[in-house]
Amino acid sequence: MALIQLQEVSKIFGFGEATTLALDEVELTVEKGEFLAIMGPSGCGKTTLMNIIGLLDRPTHGKYLLDGRDAAKLRSNQRAKMRRDRIGFVFQFYNLLPRLNVLHNVALPLAYRGMMPVRRLKRASDILEQVGLRDREYFLPKHLSGGQAQRAAIARALINNPSIIIADEPTGNLDSHDSKVVMELLADLHRQGHTILMVTHNPELTRYASRVIYMRDGTIVEDESTSIGAVAKGALRTYLRRRKTTQEDVIAGVSALLKDVPGKELASQPKIAKYRKLHKRARRRIRSKI
Amino acid sequence: MWSGNVKTALANLRSSKTRSLLTMLGIIIGVSSVITVVSLGEGLKQRLVGQIRQIDPAVVIIRPGKLVDTAGTDKMNLNLLALLSPTTLTENDVGALAKIPSVSTVVPLNFATNSLASDGRQLNNISVLGTTPSLTKVLDQKVERGAFFSEENEGEKLAVIGSDIAKQLFDGTNPIAHSISIKGESFIVRGVLAPSPGGLLSIAQTDFNSVVYIPFNEAKKISGGQTNILQILAGVRDGQNIDVAVLDVKQTLLNSHGNQDDFTVLKQRELLKLANDTVGSAAGFITAIAAISLLVAGIGIMDIMLVSVSERTREIGIRKAVGATNRQILNQFLVEGMALSVGGGIIGITMALLIYFGLRLYTRLEPVLTAPIMILAVVVSVVVGVIFSVAPALKAARKDPIVALRGE
Repeated sequence: MALIQLQEVSKIFGFGEATTLALDEVELTVEKGEFLAIMGPSGCGKTTLMNIIGLLDRPTHGKYLLDGRDAAKLRSNQRAKMRRDRIGFVFQFYNLLPRLNVLHNVALPLAYRGMMPVRRLKRASDILEQVGLRDREYFLPKHLSGGQAQRAAIARALINNPSIIIADEPTGNLDSHDSKVVMELLADLHRQGHTILMVTHNPELTRYASRVIYMRDGTIVEDESTSIGAVAKGALRTYLRRRKTTQEDVIAGVSALLKDVPGKELASQPKIAKYRKLHKRARRRIRSKI
Repeated sequence: MWSGNVKTALANLRSSKTRSLLTMLGIIIGVSSVITVVSLGEGLKQRLVGQIRQIDPAVVIIRPGKLVDTAGTDKMNLNLLALLSPTTLTENDVGALAKIPSVSTVVPLNFATNSLASDGRQLNNISVLGTTPSLTKVLDQKVERGAFFSEENEGEKLAVIGSDIAKQLFDGTNPIAHSISIKGESFIVRGVLAPSPGGLLSIAQTDFNSVVYIPFNEAKKISGGQTNILQILAGVRDGQNIDVAVLDVKQTLLNSHGNQDDFTVLKQRELLKLANDTVGSAAGFITAIAAISLLVAGIGIMDIMLVSVSERTREIGIRKAVGATNRQILNQFLVEGMALSVGGGIIGITMALLIYFGLRLYTRLEPVLTAPIMILAVVVSVVVGVIFSVAPALKAARKDPIVALRGE
């Protein structure tokens, strides 16, 4: 059984004229042990997709099966427990709690599991050893370099031994050296059998992935299996065209990297109209669940 | 989980010390003022009750005017007008009461003047009362030095003075046989009373510690033959029922007042209840006002907690992303609000203790602290903390994790 299964998943934000279609009938299946890189311009729905997979958000339409369980049927505290035990988040800006030291930050998910302090700190210490931060245990996040902070965040994501690690631009805020350290760490985890979903803007990083999907306007426009160690073909194409970024693109806010993502032209406007009708009903349904 | 929450809460409060302290200030003031007011009320009550307790329970107390309004209800309301009006009791009443079979002794308290002088020093905040030697039979009042005047001293100008007067006039030297001057007449000090619990709304609107007793007839003489009887105490004869005596006294007085019910007959127990009720309702009123400050303090806590919740939106988002359930977030903020109010409560109690010792040392007020007051104050501050943290904590718990993660 697939670890992650999305069936016609859509996500709509806003009301009436301001409605935006963040995800448009996305179909995606991720098997255990994959390293999936997700690329696409800003606003294409990458983060929304990650939030839905990470159980932080609910789709307005469609079905999401996590390990065969229908996520729509989970109650709010069940979702929280799934996040705690099955999913590890790594964010672009680390999202460590500034007032807790590294050790306590890493141990936080265990605290919510109700583990005794001594045990959870011991375990956090072991994980920090793994990511090479043993000597920074008692530092506050503000005293860490970007790479160290991100490694601490990865340690926190790992502590419950999750089946999925979701990394949203984990290197977006790091220099090339730190990026490499962090990516090697993720690659290690992949080799140990973890499933990793990573959003990135950097085509270079597709080297670490076993599969790359490209998104645009809320849909997956290309899905490519790649060999580890090589830059994905689709990514490479955009990479080579990078110099073609024009002044207009900058003004329009089009991502320089992926304006040439392969795939068909999209006609999403009529679809929005269709969804608007469905939307009201769906909202009511979701509200009743909250 | 709870110990973790407490730790987190304390760490958060420490990280914004000034704000936490200012928030707690409301609770501190509320708790300390409630405790102080209640302890002052309790002290006042005990002083009043103390003096009334000196009256023998088998004594009927007769006061001029309708002191108590018992119209139709069980509750006794003090009629303040009766305290200010001239007396309606006369020497004839005393004579009439003495003839009642169920009454053994009748002791009038006849007000003569408010001032006395000795060796060129004058005291103006005292009461000179004319009475009979039988006072000692109806009142549990010890004489510390010398003796009370007796029947044999009839016609002599003798005085028995309260302990405060002895202190003020004679500075620790023995006042016995010294002379004091009342309305120009010279009286010899025969005895000094032992210190009394003291009181304000008591037997004859006087404090036993600043009273001078002189023989009834002498008091009448220096007032130009007039009497001004503040009170009559009638001792019930042994073996007689006090309720029978009360009825007898009432009937006798009605007869001699031409059926005019312009006096009050009370038992000691009723007088006790009257004092308790009067002070109790006044103290209750002030306590209610102080309690309002606790309410305001609670709103202050809610305010700060709401600010804290929106400031920490991102933190809430992170905590939820790593697996905190709504309940766990709710608990975290509840504990924080409780920490604020319990902390304020503890500091408030400390303040109240300081105020208590200050009042004891530097004023004549005698507050009485009791354990129930302090326990109540702690409980109330915890309850306030919980109630007013619920709204902010719910707000935090219900935050959408995505919005929260994006936040600020």
